[in-house]
Amino acid sequence: MAPGQLSTFLKRGAIWGFIVLELIFFSIAGEFMSLSEKAFMNWDNMLLLLKQSAPLGIIAMGMTLIMVNGNIDLSVGATFALAAIVLLDSMTWPFMAAMGDWAIPFAWMFALLTGVALGAINGFIVWKTGVDAFIVTLGAMLGFRGLVFMYNGEQPTSHLNWTLVDFAEAQFLGLHTATWFLLLVTAAMWWLMNRTVHGRNAYAIGDNREAAVNAGIRVGPHIMINFMIIGFLAALSAVVFYSESGSVNPNDGTLYELWVITAVVLGGTKLTGGSGSIISTFGGVLAIQILRKGLGHIGADTETVNLVIGLILIAVLFLDRQLNVRGKEALRV
Amino acid sequence: MKLRSMLAATTAAGLGLAGAATAQEYRIGITQNNVGVDSYQTTYEKAFIAAAEANDMVETVVLDAGGDVARQIAQMEDLIQQEVDAIIIWPTNGEAVIPAVRKAFQADIPVIVTNSNIAKQGFDFVASFSGPDNITQGARSAEIMCDRFKEMGIEDEAQIVQISGQPGYTTAIERAKGFEDRLPEVCPNVTLMETQPGDWNREKSQQVMEAFLVKYDDIDGVYAGDDNMGVGALNAAKAAGRAGDIVFVGATNFAVGYEAMANGDYWGSIYQSPVDDAEAALQTAIDVLEGKDVPFLNYFDTPKITQENMGDFSKPVF
Repeated sequence: MAPGQLSTFLKRGAIWGFIVLELIFFSIAGEFMSLSEKAFMNWDNMLLLLKQSAPLGIIAMGMTLIMVNGNIDLSVGATFALAAIVLLDSMTWPFMAAMGDWAIPFAWMFALLTGVALGAINGFIVWKTGVDAFIVTLGAMLGFRGLVFMYNGEQPTSHLNWTLVDFAEAQFLGLHTATWFLLLVTAAMWWLMNRTVHGRNAYAIGDNREAAVNAGIRVGPHIMINFMIIGFLAALSAVVFYSESGSVNPNDGTLYELWVITAVVLGGTKLTGGSGSIISTFGGVLAIQILRKGLGHIGADTETVNLVIGLILIAVLFLDRQLNVRGKEALRV
Repeated sequence: MKLRSMLAATTAAGLGLAGAATAQEYRIGITQNNVGVDSYQTTYEKAFIAAAEANDMVETVVLDAGGDVARQIAQMEDLIQQEVDAIIIWPTNGEAVIPAVRKAFQADIPVIVTNSNIAKQGFDFVASFSGPDNITQGARSAEIMCDRFKEMGIEDEAQIVQISGQPGYTTAIERAKGFEDRLPEVCPNVTLMETQPGDWNREKSQQVMEAFLVKYDDIDGVYAGDDNMGVGALNAAKAAGRAGDIVFVGATNFAVGYEAMANGDYWGSIYQSPVDDAEAALQTAIDVLEGKDVPFLNYFDTPKITQENMGDFSKPVF
């Protein structure tokens, strides 16, 4: 085995090992502590797990790209809410209402365009001003949230369309609509990161931005495209989720950015950039959702989820550090 | 060896007994809005668990959505998947949960909405609503405030501000509506200058009130969607030295509100006990499961409380 290969394997595999541990724990604990006669690993329950992972999962795929780039996007929660408002409100516009159910694809399109536009704003500012993405998107988080409140005051924006609900609740080949979107996004992002020049550039820029510039990569436009992608995905997440629920509170999506970043970090992506994997992020998302679901299954307080996830996050970062140290030592020998 | 097999036998017997016992019970799941955000919801959860433990007929799964619609919908799905006998929901958003409630309805699981109702489109899928009548509460608060202005002789010139509850939350919307509709009927010349959300949060409401105090030189009354926010507003007015000029009226009498009333700082509120609320929800669920005739809107009474009649009520525990 080449030096460092074991630690790489451990790092990549850690999240999956953790998921297996979670599943074993909740299956056993569920037998004793759950009121349900059904097992935790029940097939339908696992299908629900995938479905419930979709809202955070879809955004997390974009966040992986952004974080591999060495940036961060704190505005995804607000983008999510604003896209949701456009989705639901656009269906009540007179010309849209006149189209009946044909308005649905247009509403989706408007919502997705909103996401792309908001992402483009973030990306453009980061590109042209050179201000750190953390600050830019922190401003955007507040600003976009302000737009959400301006749109409809403090009232929820609602439009319940049963055709849309039925579509969102449908199951194709056993998987829910939301699950299909999650899997498609995961596959598409995996392809982007691993099989395209854009994906390789993303790693190169995150690893060493100056070297990337010297190598002739157009860093500015590249970063802007990535922000447009995450804006699109935040909007897609809203489209998938709100097609089913039909009403958005102005404070919906608050803290989503932190949950998403947690999932990405759990999956082993580095905050400093240059390293990360879409598949591991998928694992990070599942790990969070299993915890939420499992603690509910065994009847633990829901608040304990936050505590447990916080502890695990610290443990993962510690493990990552230890493994990296060992990896370097192995190289020296 | 002997000991071990004996242990195994007794455990098996114990499990068997437990199994037989559970077969008779109703399994009721509850998904709450946001436990811990205020003392009403915290006391509600405690009272609900206590009521469920006191009742041999029920076993409960107690969940909390943490104010997040997505999590609440996921919890509804989980409860349906676990095949509970009935689901009690305290909606995070009166409309967004409707499709999830429909899913339970389609799975033949009766849904009881507690505390704040869902929107009308969802009524077909709900067995019963158990909770306070928030429109009446808002109207009663308007009456309390108007009566006080009449006693003070300023019913023709008074100017007031409103601090409403969490945006998008049916209770907040209904209380504001009840108040805003009733006030012009009883006191047509009182002006409501501005309404801002305080999110059921004391600190937030204090900040909102601080802004109001800077903006308006003459404020005669403050209506807050609950006492928690009302006391926040009171603190801001006290800090500005203007509390004496202002009539504070809230809703959902909290211990802090009750104490402020005893001190003479706070005028009135609506007496609503989370213990009654929680017990009513559980009882409604049990009645539905037993096939009893339950009214669709199963309100419990929430009377007016002011400095004048507060002696008739015990201090709220939350």
